Amino acid sequence: MSGTLSIPGTFLLVGHPNVGKSVLFHRLTGAYVNVSNYPGTTVEVTRASARFDRDSALLDTPGVLALPSRSDDERTTVRALLNEPTRALLQVGDAKNLRRTLTLTALLAELGAPLVLALNMHDEAAARGVSIDLAALSEALGVPVEATVATDGKGVGALTRHLTDARAPRRILQYDKAFDAEIERVAAAITEHCPHPVLAARGLAILFLGGDDEVEAWMRQHAGDRFAGIATLRQEARARAGGDLPTLLAKERTEAADVLARSVVRRSIRSTPLLSQRVGQAVVHPVWGLPILLCILYLVYEFVGVFGATTLVGLLEEGLFEGILNPAMTHFIDAYVPIKWVSELLVGQYGLWTMGMTYALALILPIVTTFFLAFGVLEDSGYLPRLSVIANRLFALIGLNGRAVLPMVLGLGCVTMATLTTRILHSPRERLITTFLLALAIPCSAQLGVVLGMLGSLSFQAVLMWALAMVGILMLTGFLASKLIPGRRIPLVTEMPPMRLPIFGNVLKKTAGRLKWYLVEVIPLFLVGTFLMFSLDKLGVLPAIIRAGEPLVSGWLGLPPEASAAFVMGFLRRDFGATGLFAMSEHLDSIQAVVGMITITLFIPCFASLMMMVKEQGVKTAATMVALIVPFAFLVGGLFNIALRALA
Amino acid sequence: MSKHSDHQALVPLAFIPPGQEVRLASLGDEIDPHQREQLTAYGLAENRPIRVLQQKPMTVILADEVELALEHSVARHVWVSR
Repeated sequence: MSGTLSIPGTFLLVGHPNVGKSVLFHRLTGAYVNVSNYPGTTVEVTRASARFDRDSALLDTPGVLALPSRSDDERTTVRALLNEPTRALLQVGDAKNLRRTLTLTALLAELGAPLVLALNMHDEAAARGVSIDLAALSEALGVPVEATVATDGKGVGALTRHLTDARAPRRILQYDKAFDAEIERVAAAITEHCPHPVLAARGLAILFLGGDDEVEAWMRQHAGDRFAGIATLRQEARARAGGDLPTLLAKERTEAADVLARSVVRRSIRSTPLLSQRVGQAVVHPVWGLPILLCILYLVYEFVGVFGATTLVGLLEEGLFEGILNPAMTHFIDAYVPIKWVSELLVGQYGLWTMGMTYALALILPIVTTFFLAFGVLEDSGYLPRLSVIANRLFALIGLNGRAVLPMVLGLGCVTMATLTTRILHSPRERLITTFLLALAIPCSAQLGVVLGMLGSLSFQAVLMWALAMVGILMLTGFLASKLIPGRRIPLVTEMPPMRLPIFGNVLKKTAGRLKWYLVEVIPLFLVGTFLMFSLDKLGVLPAIIRAGEPLVSGWLGLPPEASAAFVMGFLRRDFGATGLFAMSEHLDSIQAVVGMITITLFIPCFASLMMMVKEQGVKTAATMVALIVPFAFLVGGLFNIALRALA
Repeated sequence: MSKHSDHQALVPLAFIPPGQEVRLASLGDEIDPHQREQLTAYGLAENRPIRVLQQKPMTVILADEVELALEHSVARHVWVSR
């Protein structure tokens, strides 16, 4: 800001999940973060320089339900608190639920860093008859409090002014005398052995007594062999507590937050529930929930499967590419490139343009665009967390809970993105099962579009057969995995954010962000894949592979020998393989089409998602998954071939 | 509504018909400790009013303008008073 001396440092955005931190982050930095109307979208911290002070960085942290940290998200946030040169904390809270917001403030205040409180979604609170005395709250906390509506920028200007002169907040509670003495003992030891440059020893002591692993690790590292003494203090405190110390401390914070919230919140009585609440309840209604889900699926199918995969692909592939661009390109290359293999590399059967770019732009782009638009609408409306409630019972059968529906549905967009999102699941066991099922039986949008386009043009029965096969295999392998992988299933407890009419601008922004991510990943891989195919073909390896694969592909799966090429392509990208089959669909009968699509869907996921599996689960686990998935795909495909031929 | 006192019968949240408002008495020890902390963080603290919105397919409640869905296996161990 002009006239203000710029002090370098980091502003940390902290708050509960789904309160609009990422939208606010976007407002304050101009940087785009993937924003969703469901909890747990931010799985890593995002950093950008602040619009109002280019020397300072702003950090968006994952939502914390409570501190001390228990989940990965919470640990990430505590790590950021411990390791950043924090200039000020910007706590973003839900104005509808001040008590919960203040429970977190009670803890942040003890950390002693300058703080500004943004009460976001003020409009939703007002619509529910909740009003807050901001001046009284600001007075009680000793820090600026601003009401904001991040989605339309309300209050953001004032917030930036407050941020540059943020102050340390007042403590909002006095712990029980005995607990306070314990806290002070540990705090004194921290001050002596491992003082933190920014955070107050007292706040760290409270987190440490509450069993925060990250704070413990940090203290272990900084106190060295004197850590043992601090750990002994904690043991003694726990023994004297007369109950579970973390729970008792948390209870005191909750009660203090409740008292403060009650003194500043006014509620007007509202006799009828809001329309958004009624819609929100209807979609999880025991009777109406399922028909509404089926209607939504049908609409998505019409939009992605029919409009995207048939109409748009038809216009682009047959009309634009095969009709105009490819002949022009071929003509141009033939005229100006005298070297035969170069022209073949560009516009031949496995040409970078005629195969790579045509697949990527004419076949895949319209499909992923329509899918991401549809997913964006569902996401922005708040429907997805409700879907996890409807799907919970089904997921219980495979040892998961309804929360896994989020990565699974996102997987229908992009398995790579979805594998990263498994971090929102609470246990390593859930993450492992979900990652495996994503790799095995969830087709990404590109592939889904190809499948729907190919089987949809045959008959509805073919689509249904494929879909039932996928759901059946998903359930069966999930059931087996849940029995084989040790550990307990965690029951679902979830918050359901309010349903709202999707904001078109949000949906477009998200779709654009995802498409960019997708294209940057997909086009190079398509080109590499095409080049690989071209080289294999030129070196005479492709015919050899086709011959070698013949017993498996033609004998066992009953497909034409050329389909082997599609599986080779499938190693690079599953949708690329499926597109390969799509391209030869005129030569396939309906059984071959169904068997081919079932096999290629189960087949190993694309290279990018394989890399993501390695990153999230380690090389050993990822390799084991691939070793299970590839033979399984061919086994199931062959069994379907035998069964369908017997039935036909 | 009167304040919860010991002589009032406690009922599991899972058995409260939709539409009723109740007050939270306690979270049973059968609930996993981490999940208990999670519920407290969501706002399920002693004496808080809770409105039951539905029981199928899951228990859905409104606590402080926040809608929460709980599986029956959890809601069975959440004790409330009418």
